[in-house]
Amino acid sequence: MAGKSGRTIDATPKTSIKSRVLSWESGLIVIFIAVLIFGSIVSKSFTFSNVLREMPKYLSELFMMYAMGFILVIAEIDISVGAIVCLAGTMTCFANRAGAPLIVQIIVCIGVGFLCGCLNGVIATHFQELPTMIITLGTQIIFRGIAEVSMGSGGSVSLSDTMGFAKIGGMVGPFPIAFFLIIIAAVIFIFVLSRTTFGRKMYAVGSNRTAALYAGIPVQKIRQICFTLVGTMAGVCALFLLATSFGANTTTGQGFEMDVIAMCVFGGIATTGGKGNLVGATIAGFTIVCLRIALGQLNMSGQTILVIIGILLIVSALIPGINQSVKNRRKAIAAK
Amino acid sequence: MNQKKSLWKIITGSREVSLLLILIVMLIVVQILSRGTFLTPTNIGQIFRNNALTMLMALGMLCVMLTAGIDISITSTLAFTGMIIGMLQKRAGFTNTFALFLLAALIGIACGFLNGLIISKGHLAPIICTMGFMYIWRGLAYVVSNNQWASGADVAKFAEFGKDGSVGPYIILIIAYVVFFIVMKWTTFGRRIYAVGSNADAARVSGINVDRVLIQVYTIMGLLAGLAGALSVSIYASAQPNMQYGKEMDVIAACVIGGTSMNGGRGSVVGTFLGALFYAVLAKALPLVGLDSIWQNLIKGVVVLAVVLINVLTQRTMDRAALERREM
Amino acid sequence: MKKQVVSVVLTAAMAAGMLAGCGSSASSSTSSTSSASSSAASTSASSAASTSSSSSAASTSASSEAVASTSGAAGVGEASGKYALVPKSAGNPFNEREASGFQDALKALGCSDDQIIVSYPDNPTADSQITVIQSLISQGVSSIAVAANDASALDAALKQASDAGIKVCTLDSDVDADYRSVFCNQAGVKEIAQALMDAVYDISGGSGEYAILSATSQATNQNAWIDAMKQIAESDDKYADLKLDEIAYGDDEAQKSTDQTQALLTKYPDLKVICSPTTVGIAAAAKVLQDQKSSVKLTGLGLPSEMKEYIGDDDSHSCPYMFLWNPIDLGALAAYTSVALVNGTITGAVGDTFTAGDLNDGNPYTITENSDKASEIILGQPFKFDPSNIEEWAEVY
Repeated sequence: MAGKSGRTIDATPKTSIKSRVLSWESGLIVIFIAVLIFGSIVSKSFTFSNVLREMPKYLSELFMMYAMGFILVIAEIDISVGAIVCLAGTMTCFANRAGAPLIVQIIVCIGVGFLCGCLNGVIATHFQELPTMIITLGTQIIFRGIAEVSMGSGGSVSLSDTMGFAKIGGMVGPFPIAFFLIIIAAVIFIFVLSRTTFGRKMYAVGSNRTAALYAGIPVQKIRQICFTLVGTMAGVCALFLLATSFGANTTTGQGFEMDVIAMCVFGGIATTGGKGNLVGATIAGFTIVCLRIALGQLNMSGQTILVIIGILLIVSALIPGINQSVKNRRKAIAAK
Repeated sequence: MNQKKSLWKIITGSREVSLLLILIVMLIVVQILSRGTFLTPTNIGQIFRNNALTMLMALGMLCVMLTAGIDISITSTLAFTGMIIGMLQKRAGFTNTFALFLLAALIGIACGFLNGLIISKGHLAPIICTMGFMYIWRGLAYVVSNNQWASGADVAKFAEFGKDGSVGPYIILIIAYVVFFIVMKWTTFGRRIYAVGSNADAARVSGINVDRVLIQVYTIMGLLAGLAGALSVSIYASAQPNMQYGKEMDVIAACVIGGTSMNGGRGSVVGTFLGALFYAVLAKALPLVGLDSIWQNLIKGVVVLAVVLINVLTQRTMDRAALERREM
Repeated sequence: MKKQVVSVVLTAAMAAGMLAGCGSSASSSTSSTSSASSSAASTSASSAASTSSSSSAASTSASSEAVASTSGAAGVGEASGKYALVPKSAGNPFNEREASGFQDALKALGCSDDQIIVSYPDNPTADSQITVIQSLISQGVSSIAVAANDASALDAALKQASDAGIKVCTLDSDVDADYRSVFCNQAGVKEIAQALMDAVYDISGGSGEYAILSATSQATNQNAWIDAMKQIAESDDKYADLKLDEIAYGDDEAQKSTDQTQALLTKYPDLKVICSPTTVGIAAAAKVLQDQKSSVKLTGLGLPSEMKEYIGDDDSHSCPYMFLWNPIDLGALAAYTSVALVNGTITGAVGDTFTAGDLNDGNPYTITENSDKASEIILGQPFKFDPSNIEEWAEVY
């Protein structure tokens, strides 16, 4: 099974059954099942159909999570996604009110996301000295600012014709439509990151940008693509968010960037780049969604839920470090 | 000719000077646009007072960013300490101003220490660790508040300190900036922070305990956030669990405008001061020049991004000029 | 070794913190219930002592049946379902009083703690309220009373709730009329606007400049009051000499409201009155004006407990008088309305009547139509707080 580069599978470290079982992903699956069990014990309403019905609101964030996974793998960060969701949602509402056909509205929504992401990418590639955190901090204020200005003093805009979006937010059997699309998106993104040369290049860029550059990898092109992608997915997120809220306002998408970054980190993707995969992020995303649904059904205050998620986030990010130091210690003992 | 060139060099050669010039130009423009109503003693006092929290925390953020880190939990720490201080006054009737400030500082130190410990010993990315605590402290602020505010008469005595016309907030700011200016410039401690930020490995090799510096830096940040929490309760005479929500980005923006690099090792107290002042003047000026309030965020964003990009461009010209000189 | 120990300790500390977090949230919810009942008790005490224009939420239990039979209108019937309240946000005393009124009224109707759900959203946004409503639908509640953060963003979620057979009513801040049965209005929009406009007229002496300091730009109720104020000002020549300089938005944040107030003072040197129809804004503005010893006066809608030290007739106080309604009563009205809707006593149609325990002195409420042809129940007139009664009401809410 020789790869394009002539590299064989043998050249990569063998994955033993033991390391598979002890991997981060399998740990996440255990946590996921634990959350499901916890949910069904503490809440009578935590049934299959209820969970699926509550999911669309959260699912919209998962679309962004995949693209954010790309961004984190190449050791960048994008905190403007929440604002892009707001802007895309606002513009789509205006298109809707102007009577544009549904397909045009969808194009507007995703197109605005695409443009915003593109702008982030252009600035990031032309001003490479700047950390993307700062660039997206600036564009975040600008995107939300444009949305605020276009909404005017009311600060909110709603769909006038909700038919199309009701369909987008509809169900097929017990499953929301967004659920299927998430699965499709998951398959595509996971495939791209783990099975294509483009994916390997992203890891290379994330591990060591300079080395990647000297190895002939088009670093700036990859950064541009990733930023455009995350913007586009923010547009997709806005689309499904509109299907649950039929309108946008100045607070739409507030805090989404933190939510999706938290999901990625919980899924084992390091913000320092070059590590983690989207399988873990997918499981982590669904785990957090289910946990929030379960705690929500206990009528726990939203802020307390955030405390729990904060603790989860830090603990989950700490574990690999602890693991590593245990390993190092074992090695040290063996060396003695 | 020669003189002209050196003047140009001074302007582009130092971020502080170029920022100061931008600031002066902006002040003149605003002064004209507002028909001379901007630069009044009351207004200038208010600019400092209303932005005392950002200015205070920007100092801590400077230290954190010098080590190539970031702390987005600061406003949550602020709310948590502020809420405790407020509730102590409301429920327990505890009103000793000095003791309350001391307590706020201690709580802040504890929060910051925890950040530093986890980041340095647990090898966590600063943004992840502080994001976790951002949720945790904010949530706990709500738990402490139990859906109550401490405001008005509850904190009346404590609010005397930060009242409009009281010199309290200004004194805290001046002391903080003077102390930081001296520490960052002339003490080994300050130079160590720069060393860690410029190159952590090199710093380690040269005998600096990097972990300890990191813990110290985040603890300082926590201390300032805690103080800002108490100051916030005092200035606004109210403690609410959602106070300063999302304002950590303002603090970061102030530092960045002031020329602090997110990659670490570059930034100064004077620059931070000017950056925070720039941001404060902008926030104060926009409503005064007759702009509708819905335009404010957009303009703020554009200005922040523009300043940052211009900074990069001048830096590039400088580097190129330096290179040319070497070639000659 | 050292590192390892430290990290293990840290993890343990985190886990312990998590447990503590859960534990404290549980205890806080119980303590909030107890504080709610104690505040209600003080309500009844003080309103008994004073000339109460609005009656207390508690102490309704025994009398509600009797009142219903004497007044002739239908009572709300028995409370047997699960009743949910979704306030605007957590961490705000106004919403907390509203919730305590809701809880106490339901307890008075014989509800157990399990039947009463108060679910705060994590942010003061419509998005957060949607997730809360979705969760309530899953729990199969009988009714949802919601104080909306946005006029239209909750439509889809509320429609799902109605489809699932849940009765929906709104309080404090309304949504589109199609998506709820009835709106529990704290006071008619017109009445509030009229009271505020008259206050501005009275305080300014009939002429001069005034400004409005609102909450967020999308707050439904704020915008409705402000629009109504503008209409009143245009419709009557009496207000012709009053000039509205600006509507500023303080976003219900203390700092932003302070900044906006100061900006108003600098921008408009001839300003005479600021009118702030939001509890956060008025408190922040009151402090600014009083600290600066400004000659500008303030009025609006504020919580007495927050505003106690700013209300007074002399120059050392910034606010001569202000208005509000009883948030405890508003919560109670929402509770009675919920029960009545679930029992079918009312359908939300215009003309339906029911009695809500002791509220309105035991007289029945009638569902009326507002200017937008939407059905609403009006709690009462806005209540005026001035130096003569502020001390007394500051103890209550």
